[in-house]
Amino acid sequence: MEKTLTYFQEKKQKSEWITVVSILVFILGIVLLVISGETTWIMSLGLVLAAPGFIGIIVGIVLFNRTISKFKSMYLKDYFSTMIEEGVYRPKKGLSQSEVYACGFIKRADRFKSYDYLSGRLDGIDFRSSDVHLQERQVYTDSKGNRKTKYVTFFKGRVFQFDFPKKLDHRLQVLERYRPRDGYKYQKVDLESMAFNKKFNTYATDSHTAFYVLTPHFMEALMKVEKNHPGKIGFSFFDEHMRFAINNNKSTFAIMPFRKIDEKLVEAFKEDVEGLYEIVDDLKLNRNIFKEE
Amino acid sequence: METWQILLIIIVVLVVLIAFWYIGTMNGLRRGEVKVSEAESGIDVALTKRFDTLSKMVDTVKGYTKHEAKTFENVVKWRKGMPDDLTLEQKQEFMQKLNQVQADINVAVEQYPDLKAEKVFTNLQHSIADVEEHIQAARRLYNSNVSMLNSKIVSFPTSIVASRIGMAKKPFFEAELEKRADVKMDF
Repeated sequence: MEKTLTYFQEKKQKSEWITVVSILVFILGIVLLVISGETTWIMSLGLVLAAPGFIGIIVGIVLFNRTISKFKSMYLKDYFSTMIEEGVYRPKKGLSQSEVYACGFIKRADRFKSYDYLSGRLDGIDFRSSDVHLQERQVYTDSKGNRKTKYVTFFKGRVFQFDFPKKLDHRLQVLERYRPRDGYKYQKVDLESMAFNKKFNTYATDSHTAFYVLTPHFMEALMKVEKNHPGKIGFSFFDEHMRFAINNNKSTFAIMPFRKIDEKLVEAFKEDVEGLYEIVDDLKLNRNIFKEE
Repeated sequence: METWQILLIIIVVLVVLIAFWYIGTMNGLRRGEVKVSEAESGIDVALTKRFDTLSKMVDTVKGYTKHEAKTFENVVKWRKGMPDDLTLEQKQEFMQKLNQVQADINVAVEQYPDLKAEKVFTNLQHSIADVEEHIQAARRLYNSNVSMLNSKIVSFPTSIVASRIGMAKKPFFEAELEKRADVKMDF
């Protein structure tokens, strides 16, 4: 494992150096072009430096992305498959649109992108998840009066789907600054806990379902999940699934330039997955006492 | 416009506003009362389901235990299920009796390991666990609605409307009811 990490780190470092040196050469070339004036040899030198500098930047970026992609598809894929029972990691795939919108509180996007798919079984509970990036189209008029279009991100985070031990005929949503968007007739429900009502808005198509799912222990566990996962969070419960989404403006398995690929990085990813085990345990999703054999 | 005319308009507007407020408050209280009744029906449904599941459990247990346990005599007495016209207090009493039956079943089951392993019985145990969660949910929903209605009933000026329409505070459905000698139930 260590050797493989070193291999990817060396390749990543090489691509970063190519990019940095190319940027410097490109800047030097541009400076020479600007100050060359009538002097032909300075202009030529500027061109000779700027052109390969530009190509070097492209090559560096391509090599960087290729290395990250290989690290994910080769190293992380194997790592997660050994760490999680029936673990499947697909860096370039994600949850489908229907799976994401099944949450019931995520607005439909004009641009949909999902990646870093991770699924498996945690403590006997099946889960599926992926990073999701959603953008909406906005038309605006610039200072010259021209109508222009831009895409604005309104959701960037992770969406999860877990098996839920209670079978629900009605729908329930526990939302932090979201609202139901799936077209069903919800009623707002106030639970006994003031702290919970302050943190979340609870919507259910039937009040009994809200009280059935949200036991005092479960409310505390949801508050703990919210506390451990900063960002705008929402939970939905229907049929035999619990879905939740965290809009935290993060890509879970992103590797930034100059961040070392080493045990520390892998440990950070491991902690993310261990956080999922904690969720299963805290919410007692693994307590299948209601299901008949 | 004359002063008396302005005064008359103000009085009419005030009377209309008070009338609207009165009707609105009354409807709000009535809606609260309906919610409490609906939640109470939820308790009935859950209690009936628990009774049915417990009866099935007793039938299964009886196949193993040949002696006539007190448990089973109790359930036989309740063959008709939960009566329709029980007061809330009697429903709480009924729930306590079901708790006792279940405790007796658990004691009986401990003596018969084969019964514990039987699929039908384990499925019934899963069902009863789920039914109990439903009872707790129904109880909490009922108490939550009662709490909201009661706080309206005692708050001024809603209390004026409540007393005018003869609405009194509703009792809570307690999880554990102390045994009361004066409540008798014959099923």
